[in-house]
Amino acid sequence: MSNYIKSILFAAVLSMVCGSLLTLASTGLKEYQLKNIELDKHKNILKSVGLMDGEDSVSKERVEQLYSENIRQVWISVDGKSVPEQRKGQNDLPAYLFSQQGKVQAYIIPVHSRGLWGKISGYLAIKNDGATISGFTVYSHQETPGLGGEIEKKWFQKNFEDKKILDDQGTFVSIAIAKGSVKGRIPESRQKNFVDGISGASMTGKFLSAGLKQTLTEYEPFSERFRKNEIK
Amino acid sequence: MKITKTKAFNVFFKPIWESNPVSGQILGICSALAVTVQLKTAVVMSLALTFVLAFSNLLISLMRKFIPRNIRIIVELTVIATLVIFADQVLKAFLYDISKQLSVFVGLIITNCIILGRAETYALGNPPFHSLLDGIGNGLGYSQILITVGVIREFFGAGKLFGFQVIPDAFYAAGYENMGLMVLAPGAFIAIGLIVWLQKTVSKE
Repeated sequence: MSNYIKSILFAAVLSMVCGSLLTLASTGLKEYQLKNIELDKHKNILKSVGLMDGEDSVSKERVEQLYSENIRQVWISVDGKSVPEQRKGQNDLPAYLFSQQGKVQAYIIPVHSRGLWGKISGYLAIKNDGATISGFTVYSHQETPGLGGEIEKKWFQKNFEDKKILDDQGTFVSIAIAKGSVKGRIPESRQKNFVDGISGASMTGKFLSAGLKQTLTEYEPFSERFRKNEIK
Repeated sequence: MKITKTKAFNVFFKPIWESNPVSGQILGICSALAVTVQLKTAVVMSLALTFVLAFSNLLISLMRKFIPRNIRIIVELTVIATLVIFADQVLKAFLYDISKQLSVFVGLIITNCIILGRAETYALGNPPFHSLLDGIGNGLGYSQILITVGVIREFFGAGKLFGFQVIPDAFYAAGYENMGLMVLAPGAFIAIGLIVWLQKTVSKE
C-alpha cells in the first residue's frame, strides 16, 4: 500500500473515531449544560433586580426558590398590554416582573445585542416608574477577555444602577455607553443617560448602546404604561 | 537499585521541579497569566491541562507505531483537540460558573506548547506507561506553578484564598490594602519571574 493511501486512511479513521466520541459526549452532557444555562439566566435576572449580589456562594435551590417567589414571566403585545402565555402571538415580547408584597417593583427585559465578535445577551431591569434602571447583567458574550469582556464584570454593570432612560423633559432617549468616563465628556443634563465606557473596547460599547436602544424602543409601549401608573 | 534511579521515577518527577515546563522551559505562560487571578480557576485549569496532557501522551504513544510520519502533527492535534473539547464540555456540564470564568482559556489548551511539545518529543518515541507518567508529571509541574501563582495573586490581590477571606478585617482597619498590581497580568509576570529565579538558584547546586 502506498504511503499516501495509508496516511489518508489513517486520518479518515482517526477523524471518524474522534468525531463520534465527541458527538457522544456532547449529546450525553447536553441535558446538564442546558440546566446550567437556565439556572444562570435565573441568577442573572435575580442579580439585575438586586436580589443577588453576584457571588457564586448561593446554592441552586436557593436561586430557584428566590426566582419562583419573586419573578414571573409575562408576554407583552406590541401596544404594551400583557398577554397570557396561551394566547401569545408571534410578535409578542417576553418580559419578567419582579413583585413583592403584591406590587410590581421592577420589570426585566431580555437584551440581545450585537457585539464586536458575537451576540451579547443579558437582562436590563427597570424600576416600576418606567424610567430608572435597577440593574443590568450579561450572561453570554464573545467579547475579548480583559477588554470588551469587562461587560460581564460587576464594576461595569454597577454603573447602570439608578441611571435613567428618559431625559429632563421626560422624552425617551435610552441608555448609552460613553466613550471613556461620563464626567467631563457628556453635558451635565445628559449624564444620567450614560454609563462609563471600557477603555480599549469602544466598539463593544457602541454595539451594546445600539442594542439597548433597539430593545428599549421595542418595549417602550410597556414602559409607557408603567410611567402612567397603569400597572400595579 | 534505588527508586530515585529508575526511569519511571525520573520521567515522573523531573518535570515537576528540575525541568518544569513553566519555570524551567518557560512554556505555557499565556494561560498561566490569564487564569491565576483566583486560586479556584487556577486549580480547575490545572486539572484540565493535566487530564489532557496525560491522555494525549498515552494515546499518541499507543498509536506511535501506526502514525504515518507525514501527517503526525495533524494526528497529534486531532487527539489533543478531541480531549480539550471533551474537557470543556464536562466543565460546562458540571462546573458552569468556573467554566464561564475560564472562558476561552480551556479551549486554548489546544495551542498550549507543553502538550504538543511532550507529544512530539516524548510520546512519539516512548512506550505508553512512561508516556503516561511523563504526561502526568508535566501536568503536575504546570499545576504546581499555576497554583503557586494563584495563591500569591489571590492572597495579595484580594486577601482571600479559594474565595474565603484570610486576611482579618482588623488588618484592613489598621490601614492594610490589597495590592492592585497582583490582580493585573503584570502581577503574574512578576510572580512567575520570582519563581523562575528561585528555581534556577536552587537547582544550580
